[in-house]
Amino acid sequence: MAPAPARRLAVSTRLAAWALILVLLWSVAYPNAAVVAGSFAHGLGYWRAFIESPADREALWTSVWISVVSVVAACAIGVPLAFLLARREFPGRRALRAVATLPAALPPLVGVVAFIFLYGESGVITRAVQAVLHRETPPWSLSGAWAIIFVHAYTLYVYVFLFISAGLENYDSALDEAAAGLGAGRVRRLVRITLPLLMPALAAAMLLVFMASLGSFTAPYIFGGGLRVLATQIVTTRLNGAVGVSYVETTVLALSAVVALVLFRWLERRRQYVLPSKGGGRPARRRFRSPALRLAVAPLAAAIVLVLVLPHLMVILVAFARDGAWTTQILPPVYTLDNFRRLATDPAFLSPVRNSVAMTLLATTANVIVCTAVAILIVLRRFAGRGLLAALAALPWAVPATAIAIGLASTFNRTDLPTARILLIGTFWILPLAYFIRGVPLVTSAVESSLRQMDASLEDAARGLGANAWLVLRRVILPAARPGLVAGATLAAITAVGEFVASVVLYTHANRPISIDILAQMRDFAFGSAAAESTLLIAIVFLFTLAARERARA
Amino acid sequence: MIAARARAVAWSGATVGVLVLAACAHDGRTTILVYSPHGKELLQDVATRFERAYPHVHVEWEDMPSQTVLDRVRAEAPNPQADIWFGAPSDLFARAARDGLLDPFTPSWAAEVPPEAHDSAERWYGTYLTPEVIGYNSQLVPDSVAPKDWDDLLLPRWRQKIILRDPVESGSMKEVFGAILARSVAATGSTAAGWQWLRRLDKSTKEYAFQPTVLYQKLGRGEALVTIYNMPDLATLEQRVHIPVKFAIPTSGTPLVVDAIAVVHGTHHVAEAQWFEEFVGTPAMLLVAARDHLRIPARIDLADDSLPGWIRMARRQIRPLPIDRALLADSLDSWMQYWDAHVRRGG
Repeated sequence: MAPAPARRLAVSTRLAAWALILVLLWSVAYPNAAVVAGSFAHGLGYWRAFIESPADREALWTSVWISVVSVVAACAIGVPLAFLLARREFPGRRALRAVATLPAALPPLVGVVAFIFLYGESGVITRAVQAVLHRETPPWSLSGAWAIIFVHAYTLYVYVFLFISAGLENYDSALDEAAAGLGAGRVRRLVRITLPLLMPALAAAMLLVFMASLGSFTAPYIFGGGLRVLATQIVTTRLNGAVGVSYVETTVLALSAVVALVLFRWLERRRQYVLPSKGGGRPARRRFRSPALRLAVAPLAAAIVLVLVLPHLMVILVAFARDGAWTTQILPPVYTLDNFRRLATDPAFLSPVRNSVAMTLLATTANVIVCTAVAILIVLRRFAGRGLLAALAALPWAVPATAIAIGLASTFNRTDLPTARILLIGTFWILPLAYFIRGVPLVTSAVESSLRQMDASLEDAARGLGANAWLVLRRVILPAARPGLVAGATLAAITAVGEFVASVVLYTHANRPISIDILAQMRDFAFGSAAAESTLLIAIVFLFTLAARERARA
Repeated sequence: MIAARARAVAWSGATVGVLVLAACAHDGRTTILVYSPHGKELLQDVATRFERAYPHVHVEWEDMPSQTVLDRVRAEAPNPQADIWFGAPSDLFARAARDGLLDPFTPSWAAEVPPEAHDSAERWYGTYLTPEVIGYNSQLVPDSVAPKDWDDLLLPRWRQKIILRDPVESGSMKEVFGAILARSVAATGSTAAGWQWLRRLDKSTKEYAFQPTVLYQKLGRGEALVTIYNMPDLATLEQRVHIPVKFAIPTSGTPLVVDAIAVVHGTHHVAEAQWFEEFVGTPAMLLVAARDHLRIPARIDLADDSLPGWIRMARRQIRPLPIDRALLADSLDSWMQYWDAHVRRGG
């Protein structure tokens, strides 16, 4: 990490810094603090109830072990795939590269539903396998812990893949070549050189996967089959009317996440190597030497591509299937345009789309402004509150979406200026605020990473040439921040437009988003319409990605 | 550069446009919001007819599970969103009333609702009676072997073939479990036999579905064969979605859940909300609900021959389980907590 230049802050900049700290303290830290305070409202009473409840202990334990196994599973898929795509040349490589990140673009609720249709006991794949094997009973059941881990592995390996790919992209092969010259074998080089060098990237990715699994709500909610994890237990406890205990559960969930954060950060720091870049460059992609492997790799790649694309395809297929006609067959037997026709003729249909897009634009715009300013201050300036600012911007990583939602719900439920509370429950604004909070770490860290690659002396040079602060910002800093800003904002927008977990707690009639409307369609027995609307959501996500690509190129 | 600026202008223009669209959507009518688990079909129908009768009122609704309605009404109490809460087992209404979340109102038909189907302080009134029944996949289970009564569910034939709504979220399931335990108390003086029965049911249960839709899918496609559910939803499933399900009314008697309606405390549209409650309980609307949406009216003054045939038949077949309401109100929460901790999935 390059040390930031010790620039003395102008008064206006210092004011801006503290204003940002206040904004983040209020929106990010305060609601969580309110939840922690709420858990102690009866002294230790709620905590005692939590500790004495076998259900809560089971939920905590299950959450933790499922998250650990999810991390292992995501690494088992993501790491080899990243190596394969970075180091090898084979037919189908480009197609595989193109779809490798697709699972991240599948909105949470939609993804889970697609999995039911594919791999559920009466799903397409399950029934096909059953038919091929001539079995009386389905070969597996998509229920319980392993089903959840399966879904996590599919959706979360993308983090591992992206981080390791980036690590391999910047990988300097000089050290590798030196070791080879000294007689180290391939395995030895992998274990002693490549993996340690990739450790920071791997640790960061593992952290993300762990956090996402720990906070994962939809998968356990739909496939848990009664299995208890903390994220669903919080909602259950609230429904049973024990709000105090639900605060304890929320606090414990957030605490587990923070413990993991500290642990992984330590792991990341411990294994950080700074290499003098000698320009060995990225090793070239090679073909497989053994002919058998060379033959096998193309069909294998095709199979992986298919598996990755299947959930999207399945949602689209069901969107064209007639509701109720699909009972014991492998594939839906009757196809129709009715689902789309019903959506298009429903006068209420446009409002969730409008809501989701409007709230996403609001939240992402706020993210762009606030997070760019935060990242500039963190990377390019030095001042007393810098560490606090960085910690605040990273905090929402550590707090699962359910916990964020509960925090907002219990904080902004009345207007009380001395305690900085504003009534937001039941208003349009509560969801954009939630989306904004979830976007803060995404956008900030993306912009940070872009700014770190900027040569700090550029700013001094521009100033030396007489540019004022505004010109420097516009012509030097913002262009440098741009790649990260576009990537981070896109990610934040994609997350917001399909957001389900916080929305289901906080939405009101006035801002009902697409994901909640999909849930309502499902409640109304209209699986076809739910799939049609999901297809629309996938299309919106795709449009966002296209727009981002366009911006990045411009 | 110019192209980039034009694009930026287009983007911000689009943003503003979307926001403006989102902000204005009114036409001078008073809008009331209904929270309800009754489903789109019934809600749309009631809303359309109500708007015809009261042209200056516009009805919007939000369809969600009954437990969620209670949670929402409670969470939104400082800034109430809903004007009317239409539908949920009456003990949920009783809880909301106890917490001061509902306003009293006396509809003109109040006297026609039997005393056990409304709140003594008039904070909620029963609209429909919902029998809990046994549902089964009619493609895979022939009528001759289908379970006819509660105890049939414990037969080895259904071991791991039963799918139930998760009772934590489902008012219906709570009602059934409560009835089983109350029946045990009435017969033997203790809950022991009831717990034993529920343990055996748990052994036969393949899955507790959080989502009703998951239950419909799995039942319809044969992943599980039998369920316990409420009659109107099963009938809708069969008639509208053509999922192959049939139901049997338990011969020894079944809980008849009073499904209620109430004005939400703190609504800004008190008069309109009261009109809506009044309208839902009129004979004309109850007949529509009975004929088209399979709801059994809670009012007892409607002539038998004015009701559709199936209701007359159901009225003959259904033996309401006598349930000690006071016992249930006192014990249901703790019973469900015990069930959750010690019975679910073998405890």
